[in-house]
Amino acid sequence: MPKPVTILIGALGGDGGGVLCDWIVSAAQSQGLGVQATQIPGVAQRTGATTYYVEVMPAGAVPRTTSVLALNPAMGEVDVALATELLEAGRMIFNGFVTPDRTTLIASTHRVLAIGERMAMGDGSFDVGRLLRAVKERSRAQILFDMDQAAEESGGVINAVLLGALAGSGKLPIPDGAFEAAIRHAGKSVDTNLAAFAFGRGHARGELEQAVREHRKRQTAVQGAEDLVERARRTLPVASLDIVEEGIRRLTAYQDPRYAVLYLDRLDAIHALGSAELLREVARHLAVRMSFEDVIRVAQAKTSAERVARVRAEVRAKDHEPLEITEHFKPGIEEIAAVLPPSLAKRLLGWGERTGRLGKTYFSMHVRTTTIFGFARLRLVAGLRWWRPRTSRYVEEQAEIERWLGQIRAASPLGIDLAREIAESARLIKGYGDTHKRGLGNYRRIADEVIAPALAGRLTPRAAADAVANARVAALADPEGESLSKTLVAIASATSPLKQAAE
Amino acid sequence: MLDQPAAQLPVSQRTNPERSFTEEVRALRLGEGEVFRGEGILAVTKAILQSGVAYVGGYQGAPVSHLVDVLVESQDLLDELGVHLETCTNESSAAALLGASINYPIRGCVTWKSIVGTNVAADALSNLASPGVIGGALIVVGEDYGEGASVIQERTQAYALKSSVWLMDPRPSLPTIVRCTEKAFELSEATNTPVMMELRIRACHVTGEFLAKDNVPPAISRNHRLAHPAAHNYDRISHPPSTYAHEKIKVEVRQPAAERFIVEQGLNELLPGERSDLGIIVQGGITNVLVRGLDRLEVEGKVPTLVLNVTHPLVPDQIVDFCKGKRAVLVVEEGAPDYIEQAIHALLRKRDVDTKIYGKDVLPMAGEYTAEVITEGLLKFFAQSANDLDISGPRERFEAARAGRAEAQRLLGGPLPLRPPGFCVGCPERPVFSAIKLLEREVGKVHISSDIGCHSFATLAPFNLGNSILGFGMSLAAAGAVAPVMQKRTISVMGDGGFWHNGLLSGVASAMFNRGDRVLVIMQNGYTSATGAQFIPNTSGNRRDGETTSDISATLKAMGVGWLRTIHTYNVGTMLKTLREAMSTDDKGLKVIVADGECQLARQRRIRPQIAAQLKRGERVVRTRYGVDDEVCTGDHSCIRLSGCPSLVVKPSPDPLRTDPVASVNNGCVGCGLCGEVADAAVLCPSFYKADIVQNATWWDRLKWKVRSKVIGAMAGA
Repeated sequence: MPKPVTILIGALGGDGGGVLCDWIVSAAQSQGLGVQATQIPGVAQRTGATTYYVEVMPAGAVPRTTSVLALNPAMGEVDVALATELLEAGRMIFNGFVTPDRTTLIASTHRVLAIGERMAMGDGSFDVGRLLRAVKERSRAQILFDMDQAAEESGGVINAVLLGALAGSGKLPIPDGAFEAAIRHAGKSVDTNLAAFAFGRGHARGELEQAVREHRKRQTAVQGAEDLVERARRTLPVASLDIVEEGIRRLTAYQDPRYAVLYLDRLDAIHALGSAELLREVARHLAVRMSFEDVIRVAQAKTSAERVARVRAEVRAKDHEPLEITEHFKPGIEEIAAVLPPSLAKRLLGWGERTGRLGKTYFSMHVRTTTIFGFARLRLVAGLRWWRPRTSRYVEEQAEIERWLGQIRAASPLGIDLAREIAESARLIKGYGDTHKRGLGNYRRIADEVIAPALAGRLTPRAAADAVANARVAALADPEGESLSKTLVAIASATSPLKQAAE
Repeated sequence: MLDQPAAQLPVSQRTNPERSFTEEVRALRLGEGEVFRGEGILAVTKAILQSGVAYVGGYQGAPVSHLVDVLVESQDLLDELGVHLETCTNESSAAALLGASINYPIRGCVTWKSIVGTNVAADALSNLASPGVIGGALIVVGEDYGEGASVIQERTQAYALKSSVWLMDPRPSLPTIVRCTEKAFELSEATNTPVMMELRIRACHVTGEFLAKDNVPPAISRNHRLAHPAAHNYDRISHPPSTYAHEKIKVEVRQPAAERFIVEQGLNELLPGERSDLGIIVQGGITNVLVRGLDRLEVEGKVPTLVLNVTHPLVPDQIVDFCKGKRAVLVVEEGAPDYIEQAIHALLRKRDVDTKIYGKDVLPMAGEYTAEVITEGLLKFFAQSANDLDISGPRERFEAARAGRAEAQRLLGGPLPLRPPGFCVGCPERPVFSAIKLLEREVGKVHISSDIGCHSFATLAPFNLGNSILGFGMSLAAAGAVAPVMQKRTISVMGDGGFWHNGLLSGVASAMFNRGDRVLVIMQNGYTSATGAQFIPNTSGNRRDGETTSDISATLKAMGVGWLRTIHTYNVGTMLKTLREAMSTDDKGLKVIVADGECQLARQRRIRPQIAAQLKRGERVVRTRYGVDDEVCTGDHSCIRLSGCPSLVVKPSPDPLRTDPVASVNNGCVGCGLCGEVADAAVLCPSFYKADIVQNATWWDRLKWKVRSKVIGAMAGA
């Protein structure tokens, strides 16, 4: 029997895969071609992934052959594979449907992270490098571009871009006009879909410049730190300057130039250890740790000059459209104590402890920062930064930072890897409220149960570095801290023999 | 702004919000000789109208929902033809509907998802099959089996066998499906037996075309009513002693008649082939996979193949004649148990035919028969039965493809992140599970009895809440013996769909009756949303007159439920407080929380066009959505772990000093407010903000905005 052109489509719920199928089918029918499509929508319609399978007979094939068109794709027998997202392209490759001898892969390069990837406490996204490598090596030809972006630019939907790319690939005996007619016939948001179709076809034929999504790192702008930047440039290695300069700007804005000086002084001590790499890592984490998140910083961020513009862009408010922003705050006793002097903070927390209000009493505030009064309130809090050095939180944080830097300095003679791992473990300390408490708790457990013994020489530097790294990864594995506990137990058991040897 | 009741909408405009079927409705009106184009299930719908059905009913469920959905929107056509449409509240009421054909010569068709629906319908089905019918009775079941299925994997075949109901499994090509549908009514009448027709998922959605016929108005119908009921005839009542007679008639009269009809009408197909010593017997529904498998092995058209478009009853003579003189015959039968293969074995043994039968020995006993599975089975079959056949080439290609897949998986370092189905953007059910997660932070893990419906997605990431699923509307009953052995109270979650389908009686009545000290959360979103947002008794607006039929709270009160709270779901704080109270109150009876929030999918499909129109008219519209301050977010993602909203995504941190990606709200956001609520209830972080964008602003809006921007700008600069 004459062989049909086989098309497999991988899509996410909401990508309009079904409509894409309908377009292909009606375009084929308009050319008098035998065609059959089927799908397994099921509950995949609800945010899951699903597939559609289409077979198109070559021109001039007898109609009866349509009766043996397949309803399932077969390994190694797919001519064109379409994917609305990169991981779904990977899935079709994983299942053996996309093959180097036969399949033209038409896929969007953008990623929509799966829930498992988004849930991670750090960065849990699947290695895009692996995906792209598989795409290149396991398909015969590729048409790859950011179709989400293209849809964005054309004002249309991704399925129309994909249809355009399919037309552009020239893999089907169907002229562009027939596809466009199919879009018109369907009659829904015709103009935008036609625009998206044209975009897709243009990209497929390399007629269009690929718009690259930019993930620009934002830099804090601030004056009055030029001399400090100068000092850094004189004393510190070039390799670390981008980070250090950002750190200087960040801390000057966060507190004042004097605070940035403290930052540089601390870095000089690390620089003395002689590893530029270590310096760079410490410079990064130190700047973050020194600009710890207290209510003052949040108020600073929420009232910064560029913020409203940024929000307008993000929520796509047109220039003439008024915008109201409402902030969600819920400070508790701890947040209040954090901005009091240590002595007062201690008494307040003690009282909270006794009355059982600690971790129970919160003040839910919805502040509208686009109203004059609301903005002024936050501005007032932001203005408290002169007071920050007197707050209990400041005192605690500085102590923690000194302890951490001390460990790094102590570790570097034993092994630079260990020192770097200790520096990196600061990554665990982030967030607000419970999140911060949990992160700090994990960090302290690691400091006590792994770093301390390591510095006491009860682990070989190599083993110690691995131990700290493993503990850090484990701490980011689950919020309940189960895998961290397991890992710490394992490390402890590994520590003991050395201990005996030491005794 | 959220949750305007649907009742504000005129009935005429109130259609199935999942999608509208105008195209499909037009297809149902096609006349003699016109070309029908569309999906398999729609072809069946057209075919039953061409067969002169007097009544249609069913209960929604993939993959057959569209049959009833499309007819719901074809009321005018149904009125013209005089076809009665009943949107049943469960499958047993649908099966009972066929009772009309016991006493009256009228044709009827009902549909549901199998196996689950057939389970629910079983009682009525047995009582229908026993006396039998005089009017053609067809049951279209969606065989929800294999990839994309959402239910337990069992075969409808079992019911056909035990109740002596005939089962069709047509080859998935529209002309065949249509012919089988039409013949099914004739078969039913020729044998006084209801007929089931099973369609697998891909067959229901397969596209194709066929030559339409005119629709046939039934002789007896809503439009042509009978003056008198049928004369009393005890033979038509499934009650002893009639039932003893029925049992005999089934096997002595009806089955032989069915076998004759199948042969006379040529319902099963014989695909010829030159190899007289080999043969294949295949379920109609699997034919395409098989034929393509043979083609893959370059033996297409070589092996005679008997296609069983009717898989019960088998026709002994047909089977024997096919097998006689053959060395080996392969039976291709999907799923377990292997009823057909066993029957064929017994048949040949009785007739002393020594043909070797292959089947579940070369093909897997369980699981979908995909292209790969069939190909491997065929390779084994030919290797064992016809070593003179040279299939070394195809075999190598097949092995190579597998090796290639292994290589691909090595490259990817598999397995890839899964994409389990989850709650839609702004789903009103998500906040309830956020609240339950927060509750568990306080009181520890709770036994959660889950149910069928969108809310069963809570058993998946990121919530992972739920200990069991016992069927549709069964969650409360399923906790009956768990609660007594638990120190903490159990929580049963049930949808309003499940409540009306079964939960009201199997769950609530039984719990009340037994004084069960349990907690029940009813998700009142107003539709059976997982199946395509069909209407149910508490939908604000019945499809006939726009009146709400039954209110859940009123029903529960009437049944004597004492502890009853109705909570707006998006209010996570209140929901948490209420759950806490339900878990700790001294009230020892059933405690019910009605979690109220309209299905967001339905709501969006309804209001989007309305809003578009308002904007066109230049009216003031406030668009609300949420956002995350990426300067404030530190990339812990606990907000995602507590919500999992598809529009709550992560993006690379814009902070040069931070590496962990930060949370971000994309433009899918519908402004339901859950992320803000969760951040508030769980005391997460101050990153979230709510943005109200005023479209078509009034002069007052603009003035306020100008003044504020000026002053604020000045302050910010300061």
